Amino acid sequence: MHDIRYNEARDELYVNNPFAQAILTFRGGADGQEAPIRVIQGPKTKLISADTLEIDTTNNEIFVPQGDEVLVFPMMANGDVAPTRVVRGGAKMGWKSGGGVAVDPVHNLLVTDGTVEVEGEGWRTSYRGGRESILIFERSANGEVKPLRVIRGPKTGIHGIRQMQVLPKGGWIVITQITDGGIAEPEGTFVGVWSINDNGDVPPRWKIEGKESNIMKKPRGVALDPKHKEVIVSDMRLNAVLTFYFPEIF
Amino acid sequence: MTQTDRRRSNRSRWSMMGLGGVVILSSVLLANGGLPFNLSSEGIDAGRKPTGYPQLVSVEPLPEVAMGGEMCAWVPAPSPVLLAAALRQERSASPSPSVAVADRRGPVALNRPPVRVIRDPYPTYSAVAVDPKNNEIVLQDENLFQLMVYDRLTNTPATARLSEPKRIIGGHDTKVEFNCAIYIDPKSGDLYSVNNDTLDTMTVFSRNQSGNAHPARELSTPHRTYAIAVDEAREEMFLTVQDPPMVVVYNKYAKGQDKPLRVLRGNRTGLEDPHGIGLDTKSGLMFVANYGNVAAHPDGGGNSLPGRGYGEMLAGSGRYEPPSITVYPIRASGDTMPLRIIEGADTQLNWPAHISVDEEHGEVYVANDGTDAILVFGVTDSGNVVPARVLKGPKTQIKNPTGVYVDTVNNELVVANMGNHRATVYPRTAQGDTPPIRTIRTAADGTPALQIGNPGAVAYDSKRDELLVPN
Repeated sequence: MHDIRYNEARDELYVNNPFAQAILTFRGGADGQEAPIRVIQGPKTKLISADTLEIDTTNNEIFVPQGDEVLVFPMMANGDVAPTRVVRGGAKMGWKSGGGVAVDPVHNLLVTDGTVEVEGEGWRTSYRGGRESILIFERSANGEVKPLRVIRGPKTGIHGIRQMQVLPKGGWIVITQITDGGIAEPEGTFVGVWSINDNGDVPPRWKIEGKESNIMKKPRGVALDPKHKEVIVSDMRLNAVLTFYFPEIF
Repeated sequence: MTQTDRRRSNRSRWSMMGLGGVVILSSVLLANGGLPFNLSSEGIDAGRKPTGYPQLVSVEPLPEVAMGGEMCAWVPAPSPVLLAAALRQERSASPSPSVAVADRRGPVALNRPPVRVIRDPYPTYSAVAVDPKNNEIVLQDENLFQLMVYDRLTNTPATARLSEPKRIIGGHDTKVEFNCAIYIDPKSGDLYSVNNDTLDTMTVFSRNQSGNAHPARELSTPHRTYAIAVDEAREEMFLTVQDPPMVVVYNKYAKGQDKPLRVLRGNRTGLEDPHGIGLDTKSGLMFVANYGNVAAHPDGGGNSLPGRGYGEMLAGSGRYEPPSITVYPIRASGDTMPLRIIEGADTQLNWPAHISVDEEHGEVYVANDGTDAILVFGVTDSGNVVPARVLKGPKTQIKNPTGVYVDTVNNELVVANMGNHRATVYPRTAQGDTPPIRTIRTAADGTPALQIGNPGAVAYDSKRDELLVPN
């Protein structure tokens, strides 16, 4: 299970099961071996590797990135339900999602991390070999679309983003970068913040790098707590959750 | 300008100053990380450091200037009315005002420790094997990513905080991470350690290795490999892979990028998120424990590895099946149906993790994570069968067992519990609520095991002020 989201308005939580190709909704206070209240699963769903997800609590939608597309389901979908929209990239549009996904319902944006196809180099580019970009789309994008903006380049330091969030107030994209999960303790991991209006080769506005002084090694998950002005990070090398005071973005 | 006009303009000017003060203070707070400020010029000078973006340098009264015209009524910054208006404005304007401010700033690397850390500092056992020849128990610690070797007869006294292992293998160079299975070579004593996620490598350590040691041998394994069993007579090593669900069989001494000798994979195999594996070489059988999560292979299956990564399984074919133990001929490959399936409500199977086969007594032991129990079946069992024995209850100290090993030399059963920092040892035929005859504990009695394992994400429950961590 590589993602989880909480919906305060409905008091529900959402997780994915990639092996059974399912999106599960539980009561917010679910405990123990409690059954989900809704399950999206079946041939119409087009789910392949439902590894990560995002919820839009304003427009009541669930976003599931998988490869070169992002599937969008109604939040109340249950059973074998077709996605209401499919945002497609691939060879024609030149992008693939890496799995990180976030929605900004205020500025109407869909943000994902991923790989950009470069002319003459293909998908596996000489620059970091993929998963080196933040892609920003219209929230309501449908069908084959190109991103509005792409944050990518040596100054960004992006390589291997996992969970991401958008904070509409301020317009911040907050990400955790694991870099290379195949290395026990990789270099270049960080929690980074970009603006939703950033474009091109721009460094993060703020970053907390993984290093000995803050004990962070392999940040993979990120959640925001605006009330306490905190950024919460799950670290897969430490099997831990670290909470950073981060008033700059709240 | 009349006296009344002058009073009005002064009042207006201080209203403006109030708004301007909020903006400046916001900038100062950004520069200072939210710490309290001393607004005296001495305090400001003393605390001023180059940061690469605007800072408050002094506070001066506004000069006396005449101001006229209509002024906006001041609204406190936290007002929801103001916030909503600002957000509406942001929606239509690009870039947004707050972002426009940020656009003028350079990157800032924040040097700050976390204010809180949730982490279990103690080992958590996920798998176990016994070396009767050297009288040792080897436990996989999947929390701190290390192999821990104990004297077989170690028994942590109730008053002791923990028991010290004879040696530990762990650290960056060991390539041990999410280490979920262990096999001990009965001849050499080599330790075979399986990593589940991330590193996609099986590591082999010799008996005399310890600390942050490079593995004596490595084998690249499929992503999500879980369990290991070895047919010593044929020198074949069996590994389960959760997804795409399969059993891959290598030469026991395979290394590097060596390919499997054969692969059991396909839609008819009944492999559904396979976990534990055990062999009955006497009867020529292979037993596999399945969680029940499954999707269809696009090619139907075969005696080959599928391509790695996205698109391995058929879109929309996912389903949930009951947990099961599937039984195959030991040499099965390709899309081979199981000979028998142990499955159904009476079996009590629920997240069956590692299994251990007792060839001598014809029994299959299952670490049943979901019910805090060890289930024992006969090697010939089939269908919705009741276990021959169930070891479960508060006296057993079994909590979220994922590892189990039958030591037929010493006639004992060893359980690795993920849920309580301990490995527990019983007579081989123990059942019911039987207390362990020995316990190896890694933390003081009663210390909760957090069970955070491979936390791929995190969420904040704003209603309950709780953190949600998927594993």
